[in-house]
Amino acid sequence: MNADIVPAVSLEEVEAGYHDHDRVLQRVSLNARPHRLTAILGPNGSGKSTALRVLAGFVRPRSGFVRLGEREITDEPTHRRLELGLAFLPQGRSVFPSLSVQENLLLGAWHIRSDAVRVRSAMEAAFDRYPTLVSVRRRRAGSLSGGQQRLLEIARLLMTDPSILLIDEPSAGLSPKLADLAYAEIDRLRAEGRTIVLVDQNVRAAIDLADDVYILAFGRNESSGPREQYADLDRLVREWLSGGGARVSD
Amino acid sequence: MNIDTFLQALANGVMLGFIYAAVALGLSLTLGVLGIVNMAHSALLILSSLLTWQLVNGFGLHPLLAFLVVIPAFLLIGAGVQRWLLRPIRRQPESSGLLLLFGLLIVVESLALAIWTTDPRTVRLEGISASISLGPITTTTNRLLAAAIGAVAALGLHLFLQRTMVGRATRAMADNSDAASALGIDTGRLSVLTFAIGVALAGLAGILIAMTFTFSPQEHVRWLAWAFLIVIVGGLGSVAATVTAGLAIGLTETFVGLLLPFQFVHLVIYALLATALIARGGGFMARSERRI
Repeated sequence: MNADIVPAVSLEEVEAGYHDHDRVLQRVSLNARPHRLTAILGPNGSGKSTALRVLAGFVRPRSGFVRLGEREITDEPTHRRLELGLAFLPQGRSVFPSLSVQENLLLGAWHIRSDAVRVRSAMEAAFDRYPTLVSVRRRRAGSLSGGQQRLLEIARLLMTDPSILLIDEPSAGLSPKLADLAYAEIDRLRAEGRTIVLVDQNVRAAIDLADDVYILAFGRNESSGPREQYADLDRLVREWLSGGGARVSD
Repeated sequence: MNIDTFLQALANGVMLGFIYAAVALGLSLTLGVLGIVNMAHSALLILSSLLTWQLVNGFGLHPLLAFLVVIPAFLLIGAGVQRWLLRPIRRQPESSGLLLLFGLLIVVESLALAIWTTDPRTVRLEGISASISLGPITTTTNRLLAAAIGAVAALGLHLFLQRTMVGRATRAMADNSDAASALGIDTGRLSVLTFAIGVALAGLAGILIAMTFTFSPQEHVRWLAWAFLIVIVGGLGSVAATVTAGLAIGLTETFVGLLLPFQFVHLVIYALLATALIARGGGFMARSERRI
């Protein structure tokens, strides 16, 4: 990868875990180039979701650094990272089902809530971007179809117009048709110039979409490079299997 | 039953219902939003009644001014309990929190017994005890006030949860705490606020009880049963569901009391509870998500 470009967001030698002794990530480093899509892939338990949660500020590293451009943000809390333009879409359904569509969007603007003008224009932009949400804006989000819920999640993520998006398993639990819809939407976000870091179980779709690929295994950097390097999917999967990517939990 | 008796019972039932709803609101809020069963709810309720008695009968304060003292104090108690007692054990199994709050119940009850003994208490209601009539309905100012304050508290909580950004964030946290944090909502602080409001509502209901009933420190368990009854019948759907359940139980109690001997009243109400549990695990009015 081109060394003279400052990455939009990066991990440097990060060690992290959830309990006292587990080391889910061991000296993991990662650079996400600006305006590109970086996919983090790997077998179950490789630490890819944890890497994303470290970027989002949900998990604090024990050592190592998290950077946004050249700025170190290792100890910045989630809401500060949002203010800096870094937004996180967690795994699984994340709409608030008992709140209305409109309320879900409003909460996407939580950290700019004191700026009524900005909130209103963000709301209008969201409805312009996803006109199918207009007619259901007063309905409870839980009553929407799976595809509409996914669009609402993305619309909510965009309320503060973040420049970097961290997306965890966008197609989990969706039918193939809706998964395609989600990937098309992610492609569009990248085309708009946003930087995207994507974690995905769906290796083929993620590599199709990615500019750069990072492979993690057992919580370590396994390999990384441009997409073309990972064109031979079958070999990749064989390597994972022979490399014993058999730990089950993530 | 003639029409006058009916109207009188209807008015009594509605007033009782709003007081019952106020008794259950805090419990329903902490359970619905935080998933915490506040076992100490009723002990705090009676602590508030006893404090009101002390302020009014002991220090000569006007009963309505008790709110200005008790509610801020209970907000602080609630915030403290969540911040210093519940938060440190939040990753432990739910039973730890339940035990901790049961411990708080014992501490509050023992403290109340040590200070106020087991004597039944009645608050002096100077200035608000006048009897008032509207057509065939007769009641007293204090009962009407207590019911009105209960209704206003419920409406206030409803508007807070539905119309303010912090209220929406609270409901969002109840739905999906992880997703709420991802949007920059400080769920730790919001949990402290939610528990503080829940305990403050217990404080408010305690004053309403002090305005309308005779009470003693050990009697609070009856109110705990009542609060649970209302939460179970109403489900954790919303403030409206809690109020509806409170009214249903207030009216049932009043009308059953009119038709059957006194000792059957509780029997009928608990039959209603059993029916609620059997017919619909989440209560009659619960939505599928069981959330505030």
